[in-house]
Amino acid sequence: MTNTDHKNTGKQPPHKPALNFLLIGAGSMFTSMIVAGFLVGYALDEVFDTKPIFLLSCGLLGFIGGMQKIQRLLSKMDQLDPPKAKDASEKSE
Amino acid sequence: MSAEKMGTVEYIQHHLTNNTLALNAEAQEAINNGQMTFWALNLDTIAISFLLGALIVLVAARLGKQLETGTPGGFQNFVESILDFVSTNVRDAFPGHNPLIAPLALTIFLWVWVMNFMDLIPVDLLPYLAQLVTGDPHFHLKVVPTTDLNTTLAMATAVFGLILYYNIKIKGVWGFIKMFLFHPFGKFLVPVNMVMTLIEEVSKPLSLALRLFGNMFAGELVFLLIALIGGTLAVGAAAFFWAPLQALLDLGWLIFHLLVITLQAFIFMVLTIVYLGMAHDEGH
Repeated sequence: MTNTDHKNTGKQPPHKPALNFLLIGAGSMFTSMIVAGFLVGYALDEVFDTKPIFLLSCGLLGFIGGMQKIQRLLSKMDQLDPPKAKDASEKSE
Repeated sequence: MSAEKMGTVEYIQHHLTNNTLALNAEAQEAINNGQMTFWALNLDTIAISFLLGALIVLVAARLGKQLETGTPGGFQNFVESILDFVSTNVRDAFPGHNPLIAPLALTIFLWVWVMNFMDLIPVDLLPYLAQLVTGDPHFHLKVVPTTDLNTTLAMATAVFGLILYYNIKIKGVWGFIKMFLFHPFGKFLVPVNMVMTLIEEVSKPLSLALRLFGNMFAGELVFLLIALIGGTLAVGAAAFFWAPLQALLDLGWLIFHLLVITLQAFIFMVLTIVYLGMAHDEGH
């Protein structure tokens, strides 16, 4: 996953190496999305005096958004993996 | 106060309570009731984090005056390797060029690391010395600034401010509003997109702050529990068994925790770079 890999494949995906680091925080990113959902929902409920409609719906949105975010992150990782897997199979042969 | 003079719960609570200064009568009442309030300052957190920041500045200034170009000494070598490590990470994780990012990343890494390092100082040492100096046996001193949620949230909020600033600077005000309106579900679900993007943005400082706080708080708690082994159980001849066990467990946790504090400082730094990188990425 170095810059030379990008040159070899001919494609330049945007900031590949950063993905590794983002993955370290994937778990807490997911939980903090849910917490942030509840916080935003609570704030909206306070503004519109609609407790607990926004609290629940934003909590749910946070959950969905968290799932989506992690899924996107992991699928990008999958796209990066094939050349590596190919290298490994070549070595084993 | 050391463990043998207090009950287990009091000992832990005492160590995890900040030395707080109330700024008005209402805040004083809340503090007396064991609650936290806005108009109150955690003096120990502020003093220790400020002193540690000043220590970094002093050491850096002294080193800066004694730089050697030929064969650098051991300490210069060590600092250069840290600089190299941080600049490599910035190069890898940050698209484009911004002269602010590398110094910011270095400051965050060093400051968070030294604040975390306070966790490795024996838990009773500094509070005990503070009690001796002040003469107050109930003097509170929480020596690890990162076990205070206020510190980690303050740092994360500062980073969040920068994220917003660069988002607006790079993408423009309309670009920033567009990010809220059309991301991630396209133009047909604008209200949902707005809430979703808001949640996503709020989750950035939250995840930064809570991760660091959680790890350091838990680490400190384990040190306190290990300290209790020697404190409450080591009475009379039993001390011959419990005291070596405490020393062994302490050493083990200390070595492991050295890894944890470095990793946490590293993650905080790298995620800051990545989030700021996203703010610089016009396609995001």
